[in-house]
Amino acid sequence: MSFSLASLSFGGLLLWCFVLAIALGASILLFLLISLTISQNIIPSKCRPRGSPTHLLVVLGSGGHTAEMLYMLERMNFDPQIYTYRTYLVSSGDNFSADKAKDFEAQHVQNSQGHTHNKNYTIVTVPRARRVHQSYLTAPFSTLRCFWACLNVLRGLHPDQRLPNEYNSLYPDLILTNGPATAVCVVAGAKLIRFFLCLAKCAALCLGLRTVSSFALAPKLRTIYIESWARVSSLSTSGVLLLPLADRFLVQWPAQAGRRAWWGMKRTQYAGWLVI
Amino acid sequence: MKLCFVTVGATASFQKLLEQVLNSQFLEILAKHGYTHLLVQYGKDGQQIFQNFVDSDQPDHGITLGGFDFQPSIDAQMMMTVEREALDQKRGLIICHAGTGTILAGLRLGVPLIVVPNPDLADNHQQELADELEEGNYVISSSVEDVGSAISRAETQKAEVLSMTPGNTTLAESMSDDLCFLD
Repeated sequence: MSFSLASLSFGGLLLWCFVLAIALGASILLFLLISLTISQNIIPSKCRPRGSPTHLLVVLGSGGHTAEMLYMLERMNFDPQIYTYRTYLVSSGDNFSADKAKDFEAQHVQNSQGHTHNKNYTIVTVPRARRVHQSYLTAPFSTLRCFWACLNVLRGLHPDQRLPNEYNSLYPDLILTNGPATAVCVVAGAKLIRFFLCLAKCAALCLGLRTVSSFALAPKLRTIYIESWARVSSLSTSGVLLLPLADRFLVQWPAQAGRRAWWGMKRTQYAGWLVI
Repeated sequence: MKLCFVTVGATASFQKLLEQVLNSQFLEILAKHGYTHLLVQYGKDGQQIFQNFVDSDQPDHGITLGGFDFQPSIDAQMMMTVEREALDQKRGLIICHAGTGTILAGLRLGVPLIVVPNPDLADNHQQELADELEEGNYVISSSVEDVGSAISRAETQKAEVLSMTPGNTTLAESMSDDLCFLD
């Protein structure tokens, strides 16, 4: 009799734990969905004076993506007067992308101003999220390593980064990416940092530590994702993952326009061909 | 010089296309349309086919033949198909597999493109892109067997279609918008 009672209470305990775990998981998921929705729908106010220094982070990766990204920068008549500092992020071992970035700087940025600007850009390297033919068993670990490296780049802590002093923050202002695996790490990292910055801001507000300067700051770590020109009707894996995360999602074919991650989220925006 | 540049890509072999362009009939078609040079990037398995044709005594119809297996960048070769009067270079033609990078680079140069999908490579979204571009009249899509007859179609493709420069400012505007500049 007493045995069955004990087992019943043990079973009940187990059931309660189970229910609690589900409730906890569901509320975390709900919190995540709601905060992502809010984050994507907030329209930051215009507060950056024209001509102030801005820091652009360009994520490059693997031949096709790098070529498309640099075509796009070339096509938009990239203006180094607006984007005064550039950080190019490449995966380790990808010398092709690093060389292309150097070529781009040499051809398009220096020509327009007539003198050299080697101080106004850096190329930083992060470990690959997943190497070609790497086992899926070890991939989570290498992805974590890549994510950590990307977080450091976003916080300006990578040893190769030497941002000039006139930039009031180490965080890049704008992040431009078009879909290598590293891009997912960078955009997710940017979201995470912004979440903590927002928490800190709220805490400061609650504690009455309100300072004028911390509220007049222009938004940081804004992300723009451009789906590859090669994708006519279906999103790439990076695209699907970044649909709820990127602040702006541009597509180059009409069939891709108007997609969104879930109800209430921002839709993809048809931009026409950006690479030609 | 008027060059026809054939590229099979770096990743897979495309022997059927090589056999189709490396023969006397194909050279005759090229000569008829005023071509003077044929350059073939034949990939890692194509050397034998190329060498066999060079060694054979088939008539070349006055076409100068060149070939190489693979290079990390074929930008220089593609540039040779662009019209440049200073170099006495006429607008040529690029025949390529359905590789996105090659198609995009070719479109940017404004050179006629014949896209020949490799039937051994089943890549869905590459095929989709090729179809969409054919529909929009940007490229000429052709099966391996019909690549010779596609040349006359490429020749008549209007120059306006090829040199489209729409001046798209969406990206610049989006970036500026996201930086939240004061008006």
